Amino acid sequence: MNLVFYSGGDEKENQDLDRAFLELLAKKNPVVTFIPSSSYLSEQEFKSFVRHYSKFKITRFIHFPIDVPFDNIIFNEVMRSDAIHLAGGNTFYFLNSLRKTKLLPQLKAFAQKGGLLTGLSAGAIMMTENIEMAGYPEFDRDENVVNIKNLAALNLVDFLFFPHFRNSSRYDVVFKKYTRSCNKIIYACPDGAGIVVRGNEIRFVGKCYAFSGGHKFIIN
Amino acid sequence: MNQIKKCPTDEVGKRSYTNFAHLNGEHPFKSLVPGGRVEYKARYRKGGKVAFFNFDLAKEMGLIAKSHPHTLTSDLEKEILETFSLTIINEYDVMNKVKFPEEDIFPNTFMATRYLQLQHPDKMGRTSGDGRTIWNGTVRHNGTTWDVSSCGTGGTKLSPACNINKKFYQTGDPSISYGCGLSEVAEGLETLFFSEVLGKNGFKTERVLAILEFDKGIGINVRANPNLIRPSHFFGHLKQGNLETLKQVSDYYISRQSENKAWEQTSFKSDKEKYFYMANQVARALAETAAKFEDEYIFCWLDWDGDNILMDGGIIDYGSIRQFGLFHAEYRYDDVQRFSTTILEQRQKARYMVQCFVQIADFLSTKKKRSLSHFKNHPIMQSFDKHFVDCKNRNLLQKIGFKKTHVEHLLKNHISKVTKFRKVFSYFERAKSKRGAYKVPDGINRDALFCMRDILRELPQLYLARNASLSCQEFTEIIKSSYARKSDLKLTNLRKKQINRFQSQYFSLIATLEKDLDLSKGQQLLELTMRASVINKYDRVTGDSITYIVQKVQKLRPKLACHELFELSQQFTVYQNLNPDQKVVAHQAPERHKNIMQNFHSIVRECREGL
Repeated sequence: MNLVFYSGGDEKENQDLDRAFLELLAKKNPVVTFIPSSSYLSEQEFKSFVRHYSKFKITRFIHFPIDVPFDNIIFNEVMRSDAIHLAGGNTFYFLNSLRKTKLLPQLKAFAQKGGLLTGLSAGAIMMTENIEMAGYPEFDRDENVVNIKNLAALNLVDFLFFPHFRNSSRYDVVFKKYTRSCNKIIYACPDGAGIVVRGNEIRFVGKCYAFSGGHKFIIN
Repeated sequence: MNQIKKCPTDEVGKRSYTNFAHLNGEHPFKSLVPGGRVEYKARYRKGGKVAFFNFDLAKEMGLIAKSHPHTLTSDLEKEILETFSLTIINEYDVMNKVKFPEEDIFPNTFMATRYLQLQHPDKMGRTSGDGRTIWNGTVRHNGTTWDVSSCGTGGTKLSPACNINKKFYQTGDPSISYGCGLSEVAEGLETLFFSEVLGKNGFKTERVLAILEFDKGIGINVRANPNLIRPSHFFGHLKQGNLETLKQVSDYYISRQSENKAWEQTSFKSDKEKYFYMANQVARALAETAAKFEDEYIFCWLDWDGDNILMDGGIIDYGSIRQFGLFHAEYRYDDVQRFSTTILEQRQKARYMVQCFVQIADFLSTKKKRSLSHFKNHPIMQSFDKHFVDCKNRNLLQKIGFKKTHVEHLLKNHISKVTKFRKVFSYFERAKSKRGAYKVPDGINRDALFCMRDILRELPQLYLARNASLSCQEFTEIIKSSYARKSDLKLTNLRKKQINRFQSQYFSLIATLEKDLDLSKGQQLLELTMRASVINKYDRVTGDSITYIVQKVQKLRPKLACHELFELSQQFTVYQNLNPDQKVVAHQAPERHKNIMQNFHSIVRECREGL
């Protein structure tokens, strides 16, 4: 499986992750699909996305909002893309739309067949087992605007991902507490940092942190 | 009551909102066109609240300072109410000697203007005009003079009810609806949401400055525009052959256009030149508007009376305005006594109005009124026809997503390719359901089959991704609307031919730019993908969606403060801004607003193909 987890931040901060993305893509003239978390003003996000990746000579993009109906023609083209990017936004709303459109198994199959799946913030959380991290901690969470109960996501990796991490004791306390009661690892990444999964290999880009069994570890 | 003296901070230099004082009933039209208006005394109307105030527009008009927060301070609320909360003392009140406290009566009179309206039995404009509206006055700011008028300020003798039933009505008389002189808050809200969206998307339109609310949903809706004169303001006097008043209206209108620098030419060698220049300007404006209405599926009920539209083609009176999701070209509104025009008939109505303006120019220049048919082939009419077609071509290229410079290049150098594409585009746009015409809640319609926005949005990115044309089945799958039945979508030989033609001519426009301007196909398709995704976004507002949104707002409104309603209208406008060249910044909205907006989005989505 080929996955890139972006936390957030600007172009400059994400240079290393972008490089990793391009290495994984390793195709001449690839097609990249942009899936926004919500169609609301997503055209603007898409524009920024295109402007950014055009700098790497990528010229073929598909804008694929999923909270508005779509036809099979565009859907089939999306599934034939070389890479699919899951954008940031409200994670609960995003998951709800992915579930309603029955896209979760399709995206999972896409990744399992070797398609490159990348996610930014909410999109990155979506690639983990569930989106609990979006509602956690209390002081820095997405609103569950759609009131969904089933938080199961793509489950492509065996860790949880926390984006926009700020290295402070406030976060430390809650994540240590969280991992004390579950046997999952949380990888917490500040903006500009992230994770690259290539097959069975996992690589951390930038300064990342891990929480496990009630302890905090610094990676890189 | 004197709204100027009553303000607590009215000492010279101390008053915070001085420009409101200009909206005191005084208006140049009153003295310049005495035969074109009726004057009424007015009294302060108690019990009003400010439901909505357009802070942005008020800043543009210089009514509040640029730095004014988007909050309704108690001083501002007082100023708005003291300026706009009024009811005229009409003929019924005078005849019945209804007494009002002296201190409640405004010192100046307010005018209702005379204009032609087809629903009046007279059909000559002698009895028709503002039936429930008065003009508050003008304000001048940054080189623009604005007209301000208020709807719902009492029944005038120019209302249809007065003239059909031959009696004067007391304002608010429950035995009649439209003629009672009142307006509803809901009407103001519909105008607000619709006009702000259309205004942002390049339509000229009246705008809502404020909505005042009284008991039982009754309201006063305050509108503003740099020039609120309509063709119908001329047509009544033209029909009556009243040269003097017709000349006064024309001179008044031309002088305002010059004052506002709305026209390039401001001085004229002769009256003839001046009046024909006006006719030319009207021809250009109405050709542009008629083409835009057709291309953006705006139903405005243009008719021979020149009501429902401003002189520059701006939209006024949103009561009958709709934007369709598809090209429902056979929709007709049922107005009990008559059916409205259709979208396609609007062009002919606009043409008729232009012809009337040529007749006016000739009448004013020669002092002889020649028959309208005499001007059927006047050069101005030919210019209208040409400009209409030019605008149609330009609109289509813009809808595809081409940049302005590329649009101009194609129009200038490859018009036949553009025309060919427009022809095949129209074939799909105008395709009708086999179901035929049927009744809809407020009229009749025959469904359109295809959603052109969907194909224009998806085509470039599909080409880009696969570098090949779509099969006929795929094309149909994308373009079909929810109205299309299986039998409507049959792939006949003609349909197949048209699908292939559509794609090859679309590509030919791209290939032309590739050759002429050295723009790679991929580069162009990517640009079109991005631009078309904004221009042809999936959820575009329709008339029905505005109606449902206003119902929703009405339910929420007891808990919505004036500034919150303003913020919501702004957020909605940002969401419906289809200009790909405009940088859109999402408002940081409170959580409660986000939920409301989500609700609005669902409504727009749900109604996106309807009326």
